[in-house]
Amino acid sequence: MKWPTIIGITIVVVLLTFYEWPKMDQHQKKEKKAFVTITAMGWLLAILLLFFPDLPGPTQMIDSLFSPLGKLLEK
Amino acid sequence: MQWGRSMIEKGKISSFQMALIMYPTIAATALLTVPGITGSYAERDMWISPILGSVNGFFTAFILYQLHRIYPKESLIQYVELIIGRFFGKILGFVYLFFLLHLGSIILREYSTFVSVSFLQKTPPFVIIGGMILVCAFAVSGGIEVLGRTANLFVPIVFLLPLITAILLLKDFDPKHMLPIMEHGSLPVIMGAAAPQVWFGETFLITLILPFLSDRDKGMKWSMILVIGIMVNFVITNLTAIFLFGGSASGYAFPLFTAIRYITVSTFFEHLESVAIAIWIMGIFIKVSMFYYALVLGTSQWLNLSDYRPIVFPFGFLLTVLGCQWVAPNFEELNHFLVTIYPFYGTLLMTLIPVLLLLIAWFRKKQRNKEQAPNQSVQ
Repeated sequence: MKWPTIIGITIVVVLLTFYEWPKMDQHQKKEKKAFVTITAMGWLLAILLLFFPDLPGPTQMIDSLFSPLGKLLEK
Repeated sequence: MQWGRSMIEKGKISSFQMALIMYPTIAATALLTVPGITGSYAERDMWISPILGSVNGFFTAFILYQLHRIYPKESLIQYVELIIGRFFGKILGFVYLFFLLHLGSIILREYSTFVSVSFLQKTPPFVIIGGMILVCAFAVSGGIEVLGRTANLFVPIVFLLPLITAILLLKDFDPKHMLPIMEHGSLPVIMGAAAPQVWFGETFLITLILPFLSDRDKGMKWSMILVIGIMVNFVITNLTAIFLFGGSASGYAFPLFTAIRYITVSTFFEHLESVAIAIWIMGIFIKVSMFYYALVLGTSQWLNLSDYRPIVFPFGFLLTVLGCQWVAPNFEELNHFLVTIYPFYGTLLMTLIPVLLLLIAWFRKKQRNKEQAPNQSVQ
């Protein structure tokens, strides 16, 4: 039952693009690139998490970086 | 060129409005989870910890104001490139943007967990988070002036919430619960201050607002008043929890809201928690908007964009995806992160690195003055 969710996520992305794209004028190339990159990141991440819900996230990354210090506050 | 870059945001707000925006930005989640965290270390002395923690608030505000005085037209994301060079500046800027994205999604996660635990048990988190993000996205597209005005409208009510709670619970208070003070020495109190101090460190975000102040000279004064205001409300909240529950206050994840459930005024006013949560949501709305705004504005400064509006909605989508699931697999793990890791992670980025930047900036300025001085005497 993953396809309906994927379609749902894609519809959100398409709606968002339709809302924002006409507002940018032709000279804003950099803005368009940023828009596409960030939207694509969100879309890919959403789909990826749908298939691998246990993908290690940013919190685990920071956790492993700071865990020696974190032990000081452990009860 | 320096001028053009920083003029992404065209609005202006007053220092007072900055304090109004920053108050819920720190206090909204602090009043929710920090009393429980502090209580687990300091127990009946947990009212002292926020006072110790506020030292970091004053210090961080002071450091960022000093940096602002050296670079009055720019935010940290921009002047970091001028201080440590373009290459390392971009890297550190990226670290800050990641930090803001991470923190923004943690806040959304806390919000959705709290709302789903207390009211909307069956609503999927993406609806709770998505609804909030959609409203915030419109506020953020409006810019700093819109944020300032919504804060003007909401924050006075949010500010009075702990005080009104304390007054309505006055007859149930038992001040003897707070004795003996410092039974186990000062170490538990200091450990209990680890969490509040990093929340006070969130005054860091003034770095993105300071360049848009219409009355720049009052920025420092209002930052200090802001920290005092938060400290007072923190102490009131923690004292309320102690007076009601004694040392067992730490057993509750959300002591303030557990306390509000106890309010009955002549059996007429009851179940005030729904009103309290409605008020609290106004606060969390400003908090999410501020972090969201900082992320969007910071990114557009980092990429030298001419406008930040095009990336508001994409970031909203990304924050929703992160906040629903990816940021932490469950609330226990997130809470463990906030208790043990965040006091170091947040303090490093929000206080220690700005201190280093300020030292480098001062050193460079002195050296430049030394180099200029002999030249001038020759001329």
